[in-house]
Amino acid sequence: MRRPLSALVLGLFVVTLIAPWGSPPASRAQGVDVYINVTGGGAKKLNIAIPEFSVVAGTDAGGVAKLLATVAGQDLTFSQLFSVVAATGSIPANDPAALRQSWTEFAAAGAHAGVHGLLAIRGARLEAEMRLYDLTTPEQKLIGTKSFEMPSDQARRLAHKIADEIALQFTGDRGIADTKIAYVSGPRGAKEIMVTDYDGLGPRPITRNSSINLTPVWSPDARSLAYLSYKNGYPDLFRAFPFERRPEQTLAAFVGINSSPAWSPDGRSLALTLSKDGNPEIYVLILATGVFRRLTRHAGIDTDPTWSPTGREIAFVSDRTGSPSIFVMDPEGANQRQLTTGGYHTQPRWSPKGDTIVFTSRQVTHDLWAISPDGSNMRRLTAGPGDNQGASWAPNGRHLAFQSNRLGVWHIYAMLADGSEQTPVTRSPGEQTSPSWSSRLP
Amino acid sequence: MLSRRWSGMVASLLVLSVVLAGCAKRPATTQASAPAPAGAVGSTPSGTGGGAGAAGPVAQSGPGAGTQPSGPAAAPTSRPEPREFTAIPDLKDINFDFDKYDIRPGDAKVLDANAAWLKSNQGYLVLIEGHCDERGTNEYNLALGERRAKAAMNYLVSQGVQASRITIISYGEERPLCSEHSEGCWAKNRRAHFLGKPR
Repeated sequence: MRRPLSALVLGLFVVTLIAPWGSPPASRAQGVDVYINVTGGGAKKLNIAIPEFSVVAGTDAGGVAKLLATVAGQDLTFSQLFSVVAATGSIPANDPAALRQSWTEFAAAGAHAGVHGLLAIRGARLEAEMRLYDLTTPEQKLIGTKSFEMPSDQARRLAHKIADEIALQFTGDRGIADTKIAYVSGPRGAKEIMVTDYDGLGPRPITRNSSINLTPVWSPDARSLAYLSYKNGYPDLFRAFPFERRPEQTLAAFVGINSSPAWSPDGRSLALTLSKDGNPEIYVLILATGVFRRLTRHAGIDTDPTWSPTGREIAFVSDRTGSPSIFVMDPEGANQRQLTTGGYHTQPRWSPKGDTIVFTSRQVTHDLWAISPDGSNMRRLTAGPGDNQGASWAPNGRHLAFQSNRLGVWHIYAMLADGSEQTPVTRSPGEQTSPSWSSRLP
Repeated sequence: MLSRRWSGMVASLLVLSVVLAGCAKRPATTQASAPAPAGAVGSTPSGTGGGAGAAGPVAQSGPGAGTQPSGPAAAPTSRPEPREFTAIPDLKDINFDFDKYDIRPGDAKVLDANAAWLKSNQGYLVLIEGHCDERGTNEYNLALGERRAKAAMNYLVSQGVQASRITIISYGEERPLCSEHSEGCWAKNRRAHFLGKPR
């Protein structure tokens, strides 16, 4: 379906894609291609034009044609792989001469690629088609098309899916705009679970029990959330289904704490913390059988598990050597080894790519750090202001959501995995904490 | 060169005892004498039996697989409702050092008095809440609060209070007494708090 990109665009993306992940900032400028735009941030991006969509059927009373272009453009900008070239108006449908003229003008304005969007509004359905053009070639080559359909009340989601497809066609890696972030909202003593689009819009409550609800974690299929709630008086674990009319499940309600749920990559198990046998230990719950298997046996605190993407290792927090540190073990509990020492390290979160574990380090305040699973390459990701903690990976392993009180109250922020491009996600009044970034929606 | 996939490229010593004195009498079991409840939705009531570690099937893991859950599991019966417990003026809080859950010598005296009151008021059950200050992180502080409540419980048991009269709960950092961001406030929040209720 996707066609090969032109050599020119490919060359551009080799540099674009390698730079943010493969080399330190200082070397990013090397190997520069004259066609590559260098933005203020120093990263090289693909300049893309997304004019307003052309309405080919129905009446666009709600301004969907413009919204699709605007939101998809915001999504591509968020990815830091694209820079959106300003555009006004739409390109007429079925008018090759007008299309050629528009792309020639956008190319002159610096665009490397153009998206021609067509929109049909049919009752309560939206149908959209996008056509991707390589504007670096004289023939303005058509390099990909894709059609979408969505209920008309989900125009923003349609835009997110379009943006994700654009990212896929240009980079080989689908974007992450069609995802959700779950988080905790409210002051201490009255915290509820909420879910919002990845860009902070459309927040809605998942719990309404006026109790304390904490640590929502998406299942790998993005269909359910495991979370801790005091709704029955004690810290128990539950599973909610935000998109289905389906009763909640109780995952664990033992005497003591039932906390820190962490889904295995295949979604069939949960690692969690129980103190039912006397002190906080890590267990794995096999969902199909309901069997709990104990992994740690230590007099200290063992908690905060996170799975490697292969499911063959679990990182966790233990205070067995003094202050809390990050350890790694296999899913049977064997081969326990200490990864970090000499600090106060909690909240390990294993990258979906497998090569990095992000964690929270407390010195005077809290900041996010990263380390390789072999213990090398420990590095700082945030340096204030305020506290920065509780990271959650986007499914592509390029972005992190986290909580920060840099403005005095807790809000959710996002950044690239190297700590750059920090930007607010939630904008609601009150406090928002404990983000969990979903995989791409089904 | 025309490869379309670029992804390849991107490519405490805590053994440090919880209780300073009287460890020997520390109960080997969990705090409640009743069997630990296992909550699992969709489980058959019998589950797999055999104690706290087992429950019935919880959920299907993939689309269309497994059985539909039938609804929330029954609330555990061996845990008294925390809201039924109220403040008892004779039961005093104890406090903890940062990131610690061992009983400080001065606080042992407070616990001795709490134990004496409980022994002379056999009609009462006690709930011990474990709390942390706002520093540290959620998941770890829940465990830390649990250890603090457990340390206080173990001490009371070592002084002759029956374990079956004691229930513990951790609130982590979620219920601070004091909300200023200062050491004075944090010190108050790192506490074990005692509540009572007639049997």
